[in-house]
Amino acid sequence: MPPMHWTDAIVESLKSHDVWLIPYVPDAITWQVLSKLEQDPAFHTVPVAREEEAIAVAAGAYAAGKRAAVFVQSSGFGNTINSLAQLSQAHKIPVPTFVGMRGGLGEFNPVQIPSAHPIPGFLDAMNIPHYAPMVEDDVTSYVDGALELSFASRLPVAVLLYSQLVGAKRATS
Amino acid sequence: MLRPDGIRALLDRVTDEPIIANLGSATFDLYHAQQRDANFYTWGAMGMVSSIGLGVALAAPEKKVYVIDGDGSLLMNLGSLGTIARQNPKNLVHIVMDNQQWAETGGQPTHTSTGTDLAEIARASGIAHVIRVASLEDFEDALDHAVNEDGPWCIVADIEEHGHGARPPVSVEENLLRFRRTFTD
Repeated sequence: MPPMHWTDAIVESLKSHDVWLIPYVPDAITWQVLSKLEQDPAFHTVPVAREEEAIAVAAGAYAAGKRAAVFVQSSGFGNTINSLAQLSQAHKIPVPTFVGMRGGLGEFNPVQIPSAHPIPGFLDAMNIPHYAPMVEDDVTSYVDGALELSFASRLPVAVLLYSQLVGAKRATS
Repeated sequence: MLRPDGIRALLDRVTDEPIIANLGSATFDLYHAQQRDANFYTWGAMGMVSSIGLGVALAAPEKKVYVIDGDGSLLMNLGSLGTIARQNPKNLVHIVMDNQQWAETGGQPTHTSTGTDLAEIARASGIAHVIRVASLEDFEDALDHAVNEDGPWCIVADIEEHGHGARPPVSVEENLLRFRRTFTD
C-alpha cells in the first residue's frame, strides 16, 4: 500500500494526539497542510500576525487544558525564539512546531537561504529536539513521535518540512 | 489610578476566572493582591500576554478570561489586537495598564508618553469594545460592563506609576500546572 500523502499523514497524527488549536503564519509549504486543517471540524485554526504570537496562543491553549501545534515558515522562525524559550521551555508547555523549510534544494529566492540554514543549529543550541522526514514513508512515524515526545516532556519539539518531502516552491508559483 | 487599586477592583469582581498577568509589575502586584491558582504569572516573553490570553479564551469559551497587559508590552505585539479582533472571543477582557514607561528597566518613556493611543489602535484593529479610562471610578465602571457583557473588551487605563510589590517566590512550572488544573479538574 502506498504511504499516505505527507499532508494527510500530519493531519491524522495531529488528530490521534488530540491536537485542537492550530495557530499559524501561512506559507506555501505549510499551507498544503493548513488548508486541510482549516476545513476539518476537529481543528480550530488561528492565523496570527507574527510567529511569536503563534507560540503564545498555543501556550495559552495548553495552559487552559487543550493541545495546540504551530505552523510557521523558516523565514519567520527566528521570531519564535523568545516565546519558545521564556514560555514553552521555562514554564514547561509543550508546543510542537512545524516549520516549512525554504532555502534548500530548488530554492529560487536567495534571501531564504541564510535564514533557513541556521535553524537546526539554533534548535540544537536551545536544546529543542528536531526531526525532518524526507520521504512520505517516514512522515507518520516522525510526526507521531515528535508529538508524543513534546506532550510527554512538556517541551517544544520541531518538525522541519524540507523540499525533499514537500517539493520546491517554483519562482512562478 | 494606581495599578494595585485596579487589580483589586478586578479581583473584587471575579471568583475562579483566569487572570493572565504581564511580566514585572502586573505579575508582582497580582500576586500580592491575591494568590489564586487561576492566576498565570508571566516572567518573560514580553508582549505575549495578550496572545496567551487569546489561547486561553479560545480553549475555555465558558469562562471569562482576563489579561493584565502593559503599554511597553502591548507595543511589542500590536498585531495581536488584529488577531484577537479576527477571532472575536466574547469571553476575553484585555486590560492595559498604561504608565507611559518601561517601568522595569528604569522608567524610560514609551511611545504612549508622546501620543501613541493604544485604545485607538485597538479600536482600529477591530476590537468590538474598547474603553479608555483615567480614574479608578471609570475603570470600575468599565469592568462592570466587561464582566457582565460579551466582548472582546479592551480597557486601556491611564495609571500613575508608584512602583510595585516585592518579587514573589513563584515557581513558573508549578504555577502553570496549578493554573491548568483549574481547567482540567
